[in-house]
Amino acid sequence: MTRATANRAGALARRVAGHVARGLVMIWLVATISFVIIREIPGDPVLAMYESMLQKGMSPDQAERATAVLYGFLPKGSLWEQYTGYMGSLLHFDLGRSLSTPGVEVTSLIGSAASWTVLPVLAGTLLSFLLGVTMGVYAAVRRSGRLGDLLALSGSLLHGVPVYVIGLLLTAIFATLWPILPSGGPVDVEFTPGLNAGYLGSLVRHAVLPVVTYTLASYGGWILAMKSNVVTVLGDDFILAAELRGLRRGIVFRYLARNAILPLFTILALSIGMLFGGSIFIEEIFNYPGLGLLLVNSISSRDYALMGGTFLVITIGIVVANIVADLLYSVIDPRVRSGGTA
Amino acid sequence: MERHLTAPGVRIRGLTVVYNTPSGELPAVSGVDLTLAPGTITGVVGESGSGKSTLALSMLNAVQPPGRISAGSVEIDGLGDVVRLRGEELRRTRGRKVGYVFQAAQNSLNPLKTIGAQLLDLGRSHDVGDLRALVRDARELLGRMGMDGARVLDSRQHELSGGMRQRVGIMFALVLDARVVVLDEPTTALDMITQATILRIIREVHDERALTTLVITHDVGAVAEVADDLAVMYGGRVVEHGPVAEVLGAPEHPYTRGLIRAIPRLSGDLGLARALPGRPPTLGTLPAAGCVFRERCESSLDLCRTAEPVPAARAGRTVACHLPGPHAVPVKRKEYA
Ligand SMILES: Nc1ncnc2c1ncn2[C@@H]1O[C@H](COP(=O)(O)OP(=O)(O)O)[C@@H](O)[C@H]1O
Ligand SMILES: [Mg+2]
Repeated sequence: MTRATANRAGALARRVAGHVARGLVMIWLVATISFVIIREIPGDPVLAMYESMLQKGMSPDQAERATAVLYGFLPKGSLWEQYTGYMGSLLHFDLGRSLSTPGVEVTSLIGSAASWTVLPVLAGTLLSFLLGVTMGVYAAVRRSGRLGDLLALSGSLLHGVPVYVIGLLLTAIFATLWPILPSGGPVDVEFTPGLNAGYLGSLVRHAVLPVVTYTLASYGGWILAMKSNVVTVLGDDFILAAELRGLRRGIVFRYLARNAILPLFTILALSIGMLFGGSIFIEEIFNYPGLGLLLVNSISSRDYALMGGTFLVITIGIVVANIVADLLYSVIDPRVRSGGTA
Repeated sequence: MERHLTAPGVRIRGLTVVYNTPSGELPAVSGVDLTLAPGTITGVVGESGSGKSTLALSMLNAVQPPGRISAGSVEIDGLGDVVRLRGEELRRTRGRKVGYVFQAAQNSLNPLKTIGAQLLDLGRSHDVGDLRALVRDARELLGRMGMDGARVLDSRQHELSGGMRQRVGIMFALVLDARVVVLDEPTTALDMITQATILRIIREVHDERALTTLVITHDVGAVAEVADDLAVMYGGRVVEHGPVAEVLGAPEHPYTRGLIRAIPRLSGDLGLARALPGRPPTLGTLPAAGCVFRERCESSLDLCRTAEPVPAARAGRTVACHLPGPHAVPVKRKEYA
């Protein structure tokens, strides 16, 4: 017993270590790529910045330091020195400073954008997951009935519609034709931020359309995935065996639902990881100042430090989600938990 | 536990089960009459596709779509006609009154739950008052089948071998003390020695509890050791049914003879063992009129092409064949209807 448990824990630790190692390699690759972009882009933005500082009358020393602060590495020196300098500042969570919002640190820009992204998209993901899974079970069990067909059809249709179409439609309906909700922005400016009813109410009103858009956009995928999982498990021998043993309907249903939902948890964890970057369209449509919008703006204003930093954070989000998904699966699926494959 | 030692009898009458196929509804079981005498073990043999599993599922009124029971009845003493049971009444019959070992018993367990948890689900589903006693009975049954009961109850399916899972499936069929037990190929995943042991244990439990048991197998040799009676199925019909010693010792139906000849252990001589010629029929290739076996029969008559032979009593058993039997002995028992 104890040895088996130790073995299982060991196997799990090895798997997690493997994920962490792969994740670190991925993060390192992205960091290196963004270094190369900043450094090697035509017209070398770093050197250009350095020279414009000189022209503004700074001493070479001052110009060098100013550029280093902006990009996280020195404008001159060997490639290797620049690279190690850049990586060194990354290790201190220093992503440099933004150009388009002069003087502000990239990390603080990303931090405030992340909070605008995470909450609405998290809410949208969880809502669409709960809704899609419930409806998926129903659509599978009643797949020969009218309502079951209708549900599955709604899933296929919504699944095929691009997210920006859903977003634009919702804005057209609820902000223009029948203006009951704000068409964009995160919050009305007249309220002072804080825990007061006005501010929170405005916050929620602005979040409704983005959250609903996100929910509708991913609901189709969940309902289809859950329906097909339930249909597969329904055909499994152990469900018929449970019925032949006269188990109560409720118990058979639990057997069915637990086995069908299991694979979806992994996808859920992964899609929560993707939310860091996956909301670009929604944030553009609703002018919602999240990470997606930040990335788009950094690209259009050639704010390379911000762009690299945002990419890096999105990558880290995905890597962490992968690890969480794997851990989650190990915790809920006993077959994986014990390292078995049968 | 006090057991009242009267086993129920089972009477299957005119049972027809059809499957909906692209070419319409085709019968997998056709007008079968079969009586299981109280307290006996009846073996059912026949090549794969002959309708054995379909017949077994009918005894629980559990034929799965696209199949359905289109005619006939399955009368079980104390339960009435199972084919008419519905809903909650049917659910309570399954497992509690009629135990069933699934053909693919290796896959009959919920992969996410321990065997013990599934046992408790079973007990609660059937309002078993003393769950502790249920667990004790399960452990004992598992122990008899050569396993460490406590450990098995703590395990999940993937921690058990195919043979262990199959024995767990048998335990589930016996643990609620159902008086009628149906076992569909209960020993296929087991090696020869374990197979013999398990069949012997089934026999023991059967005798102790006064059960009425149906064992399906395509291993004629294995069933010879445990069964009292033997029913031979071909193309959805029971072509021969009688006491096992007589059916195997002096087969009347040409199909039974062919089956026995194909088994070295029974034909007595390795050199003489001979596979049955031709292929077993499928739903689509069954002839619509006449004897279903005629195309593979070594001595078919003209009559066999036009008229389907009706099961009739002869030589101490029922046989469905136009040929005059080689063993003209009068019927001794009359329950082989
Ligand atoms: N779900 C099904 N759909 C169509 N035909 C089926 C189905 N299940 C069984 N059959 C057919 O019914 C016949 C009897 O099958 P079965 O009862 O499983 O035979 P056995 O158990 O003797 O191998 C076979 O010809 C098989 O192909
Ligand atoms: Mg079968």
